[in-house]
Amino acid sequence: MSGSATQGNGSALGRIVSGILGPLVFPVIAILLSFIIGAVIVLATGNNPIAAYVALTEGAVGDPLALGRTLLYTTPLIFTGLAVAVPFRAGLFNIGGEGQVYMGAITAAWLGVLLGSLGPVEIPLVLAGSLLAGFLWGAIPGVLKAYFGAHEVITTIMLNYVGIYLAYYLANNPLRQKGPIPGTESIDYAARIPTIGGALGRANYGFFIAILAAIVVYLLLWRTRRGFELRAVGLSPGAANYAGMRLGVNTVLALAIGGSLAGLGGGVEILGVYGNMDVPWVVNLGFNGIGVALLGRNHPFGVVLGALLFGGLSSGAQEMQFVTNVPLELADVLLAVILLLVTATKLVELIVGKRARALAGARLEEGLGS
Amino acid sequence: MSEESAGGGMTDVVNAPIVLEMRDVTKRFGLVTANDDISLVLHRGEILGLLGENGAGKSTLMKILYGLYKPDEGEIFVDGEKVEIHDPKDAVARGIGMVHQHFTLIPPLTVAENIVLGAEPRKGLSLDMDEAVRATEELSERYGLQVDPKARVADLSVGIRQRVEILKALYRDVRILVLDEPTAVLTPQETEDLFAVLKELVEDGLSIILITHKLGELIGVGDEITIIRDGRVIDTVNASKTNERELARLMVGRDVLLSVEKGAYDPGEVRLAAEDLTVHSATGEVAVRGVNLEVRAGEVLGIAGVDGNGQTELAEALAGTRHTEGGKVYLDGEDVTSLGADARQVRGLAYVPEDRATKGLVQDFALYENNTLKTYYERPFSRFGVIFPKVMRRRAAESLRAYDVRPPDPGARAGSLSGGNQQKAVLARELSGDPGVLIAAQPTRGVDVGAIEFIHRQILEQRSEGKAILLVSLELEEVRSLSDRILVLYAGRIVGEVGPDATDEELGLLMAGRGVEEKSA
Repeated sequence: MSGSATQGNGSALGRIVSGILGPLVFPVIAILLSFIIGAVIVLATGNNPIAAYVALTEGAVGDPLALGRTLLYTTPLIFTGLAVAVPFRAGLFNIGGEGQVYMGAITAAWLGVLLGSLGPVEIPLVLAGSLLAGFLWGAIPGVLKAYFGAHEVITTIMLNYVGIYLAYYLANNPLRQKGPIPGTESIDYAARIPTIGGALGRANYGFFIAILAAIVVYLLLWRTRRGFELRAVGLSPGAANYAGMRLGVNTVLALAIGGSLAGLGGGVEILGVYGNMDVPWVVNLGFNGIGVALLGRNHPFGVVLGALLFGGLSSGAQEMQFVTNVPLELADVLLAVILLLVTATKLVELIVGKRARALAGARLEEGLGS
Repeated sequence: MSEESAGGGMTDVVNAPIVLEMRDVTKRFGLVTANDDISLVLHRGEILGLLGENGAGKSTLMKILYGLYKPDEGEIFVDGEKVEIHDPKDAVARGIGMVHQHFTLIPPLTVAENIVLGAEPRKGLSLDMDEAVRATEELSERYGLQVDPKARVADLSVGIRQRVEILKALYRDVRILVLDEPTAVLTPQETEDLFAVLKELVEDGLSIILITHKLGELIGVGDEITIIRDGRVIDTVNASKTNERELARLMVGRDVLLSVEKGAYDPGEVRLAAEDLTVHSATGEVAVRGVNLEVRAGEVLGIAGVDGNGQTELAEALAGTRHTEGGKVYLDGEDVTSLGADARQVRGLAYVPEDRATKGLVQDFALYENNTLKTYYERPFSRFGVIFPKVMRRRAAESLRAYDVRPPDPGARAGSLSGGNQQKAVLARELSGDPGVLIAAQPTRGVDVGAIEFIHRQILEQRSEGKAILLVSLELEEVRSLSDRILVLYAGRIVGEVGPDATDEELGLLMAGRGVEEKSA
């Protein structure tokens, strides 16, 4: 009885345009609104919001170095966003990205040293190891869900702790480097992912691996048998079961594939940025992936855009803090408000009216599973 | 009996004062106009039938009356006074009550507790349950609705639960009672009881709006019938001066064949058989107890019964989507008990599930994806694990046209189609593989009259092509008009077999399980 009956009418061009723009409407509105809210906050703290936003933008994309920093921050978030998006398409919430990143990272740190100095040949081998580690780690909550009925939200959250501390234990004990500093030994530079160069600073080819991963995920979901099954299971377990698809296998695979993407992200961070695993290591890559996926409406290409926004904001915030008196944390506040608005579709509807909602159409619900 | 009910009740009713008038009500959802300038009038002591296909707008109209939706335009008058109804509480305060299709009772509570819920009698700060029981007894006596106030609702039959729902409305002093598809869950006898009760209520001065999509029902009980199509009032007819054919035409907008021509009955060999089949329900209770049946080529075997007597589980177990606890299933003589739904499908079993919303279709998949929901892994749709959406689309476009699915756009989201078109899409998929056996569970539930006609023709066409068809349906008319033999299921057992010419009474007794007692006596 709702407006859905009108879908399928209209010109082909209109359909294509709304097909591309429709999903973008709400995130863009949410971003604009959150910047307005952010401006109010900046004003309230006695600063000039225009100066702050100019600095933020320059810090994100203003010069090659800033752009490189944005790409650097974006790369792992693409992986962890995909790690949430794939299980989500199969109707599962993967909150375990953090632990999965750590398992991939410690595997890379171990293999990278173990294989010694094979040079660039080592890179795919190490990354394959990270991918496999994430796959296996992600399969655990999958098996628990499919065959023992344990809810994946609980198990993936708890496995984060197990994963993080297992990685720290390994980094601190069997894999610990000689000397007083905790952490694993450094990997030979020849076996690391090279930087892109130009004036992009530390940005490395890991970014392109992430883009490749997003394309592979897209093809997996929409061009393969397995993806067909995953999406069917996610949208309607009843119909998938009726059609003879196996829910258990698809549940395990969805979470394992999610885990493998986060694991690969961990490996790319080690080979591209850190060269070893320090203790403590970088935090929140996995958790931010949830926000990235939400913002990207669980579509692989949306995830890339979401990760770019996250990466750009954290990169720009540094410049903003440097140039103005606005603290770094404003970027986090902006992100929080964006996510709030993206999830609270009803709220945005209230603010901008129903026209935008009609344009965005049924895709709204799709991304949020409501 | 009052004078009003005698013979010429019709004219009396129309001369009675108007208790409710809805004038020029319009309600839009986005670009869709669900109610377009609808007006209707309800007199005191009248039963007004509201007839329309699914999606015609009758539920929307009643939701406006009950304060669940706000109309975009139009006015509502109760007893000649213009009213604004903002929520159900307002509606009840104006004397408007509603009995929903899905009951809103709390099973663990008693009848009296359910009836007073939300408007409990109090003694000081505490509830006065004695008063609640007393009030319930008084109501049930006054209106002749027999219930035990202290019985737990969970222990009551569906028919009695509906009675409790009606009492709940009466307890709130409603004078206008809206019943939404009240007979969907009742046996023929229970339906008769309900109508007797409704007639008593209107004699007491209540006014009733009866929403239904069943044509015959209203002719027996209604005073006037208002027909709604595509959100508009098409006509209001006198119930005593119309017939099913006219109502069907008004409802659908064209002449409809109400009964389908069936070819000669010439059964062949057994294609599908169950032997001593025992199946558990989702909650782990025994739902099917030792059922034996055989379906032969070229015949339609109908399974009749009141909802919840094991039909769902029986169909699922035969199709392979539900695990069997005991017994065997044979497909063309082969024991397929341990095979899954996919393996049975490969062996030529098609299955139209009763719940197309959650089983038959993935609502958010496009039609072409739904069309290949069971064959996506086969050539030419897939090779080496890669699927070919273009091939899927092309094939889907053909079968959507063949089965008159509207719109025939392979890219349309399944959930955006009407119930009838969704069901046609399911049929298109299931029958496209030229199966030998078809299990059709409630193939026309929630489907409009036009689509019912189409689906019935398809089923009979399969029959004449020598397919074996098992038809599970809650609609007795459907079972009778399509089946060659009818088995009645009660409490998971087959309690009798009758021919398609069985009377309502025969079937009704079996459906109520009375046949069992006679046999065991």
